[in-house]
Amino acid sequence: MNIENLIKDTFAAREHDAPDSDAVLAAARQRIDRRRSGLSRPLAVAVGATVLTLGAVTAVALNRHDSAEQPQITAAANGSEGNQTPAATEQDAAGLRMPYSLGWLPPGSVAYRAHRISVGSSSANPDVPLYGGEYMLTVTAGSQVLEVDVQQVRMVSVDKATFKSGPGKSVTINGQRGVESSVSTGPGGYELYVAHPDGGSMYVNVSAAPGSTAPAQQLVDAGRRIAENIHFPGTTTVTPAFGLRDLPNGMRICAFDVEQGMDRSSAGPVTNTSYSLGTCTVQPSIFVNSAVVGGPTGTPGQPVQGHATRYADENGYHRLWVLDAVDGVPVVIAGRVPQADLYDIANRLVLPH
Amino acid sequence: MADYDDFARAQLPRLLRYATMLTGEREQAADLVQDVLVKVYRHWSRISGADHPDRYVLRMVTNGYLSWRHSWSARVIASADLPDEARADDFASDHAARDDMWQRLARLPKRQRAVMVLRYYEQLPDPEIAELLGCAQATVRAHAHKALAALRNGLAIEQMAEARET
Repeated sequence: MNIENLIKDTFAAREHDAPDSDAVLAAARQRIDRRRSGLSRPLAVAVGATVLTLGAVTAVALNRHDSAEQPQITAAANGSEGNQTPAATEQDAAGLRMPYSLGWLPPGSVAYRAHRISVGSSSANPDVPLYGGEYMLTVTAGSQVLEVDVQQVRMVSVDKATFKSGPGKSVTINGQRGVESSVSTGPGGYELYVAHPDGGSMYVNVSAAPGSTAPAQQLVDAGRRIAENIHFPGTTTVTPAFGLRDLPNGMRICAFDVEQGMDRSSAGPVTNTSYSLGTCTVQPSIFVNSAVVGGPTGTPGQPVQGHATRYADENGYHRLWVLDAVDGVPVVIAGRVPQADLYDIANRLVLPH
Repeated sequence: MADYDDFARAQLPRLLRYATMLTGEREQAADLVQDVLVKVYRHWSRISGADHPDRYVLRMVTNGYLSWRHSWSARVIASADLPDEARADDFASDHAARDDMWQRLARLPKRQRAVMVLRYYEQLPDPEIAELLGCAQATVRAHAHKALAALRNGLAIEQMAEARET
């Protein structure tokens, strides 16, 4: 046995020393749940009581050289990128509104991978939820594909920004203090944090997609110009795969995520949608999601809107699967709330027909 | 964030085994992965959008281990100092050989140990290890070379095995 095989055998022989997964997950959940207490002023998330239903990739057509022009999101039916035909909607309602809009993007064909309002917290005040919007998209021009990520990072100030490529350097964007990556030639591309007047920062990342190349200066110029043309408040609306109507008892949509699916390749691109529901003054307590990893678990439950369900209670974390809800996949409603609350939300789903 | 839960449940066994190989201790592995799980939850919207969320989280565990403030490896060494030269009859069984190697691995600097784990346990090629560690491939090879040299040092079984193979 040579030393390399001995090392492999040694590692393999120690696999049984690994801790128990359930115990570690339970401990992590306890720490996460502890963050759900405390009060704060929520970020207003403008959403309609009902949202339209649509399975699609969202794509935009921009006049890329006109910085004054706002993105115009056009839904492409059945998720075919490049199909600019507006889809017929089965519900007459508003979409989800982003907290800010992108006023300029690099020249090319734009395809959105994700629109989201996420929730996080700062290490200094972990119990207070902080909400921020994010766009993830690709811009294709000829053989070049750029990946763009624009994110409102409420929990990271410019002073605490770090970069994959090493120390950053100071920059000023629209009179606001910022810091950008010194090196933009690596896989991380160009990164930029700009201070936000309300706290935290805006993060812009522009990089060449795997298999594509772009000069570093192009990434730098694009990233700075994107940052210069971020507009608050947002006018961009997003069409989710399914909606929610008439939420109960003051419950609101605190955060959402509408993104192009990656795992269900058989039917082509699909839109995954998730919502985080709650009062928004504490961390959201109910999660509704069509982008689910793994198959349904639990035991058969009561039918919802003509759909079969599965229900599971995992040490107080309840989960209700509404089967075949969106394009043949389930929607899962979950949280540390009573079972009845999950069924209540399930009956308020606006599902495509 | 039901998908977070599903993701965590699916990835945990691998992450915990990986963390065990890195830290050498069950409790430290649990703490390390638990910390990462909480961070993943807080940044789930971003992580879930990554091309390979599993690889992203593996990197988080790696970085967490490399930046670990506690000098656990030093404590392990203090409680289990190795003989300078192993005697052949100590390795009469494979079990003894693996125990000896496990303690030798614990003596390695963190980056060298991480390279050993990624190369020989995760069986990743050097380019992927370099990407995970955020360094050049040459650096990975240098870490591996130094680690293997340190592990061979005084390893009687290696000499015996090589003698048998030749």
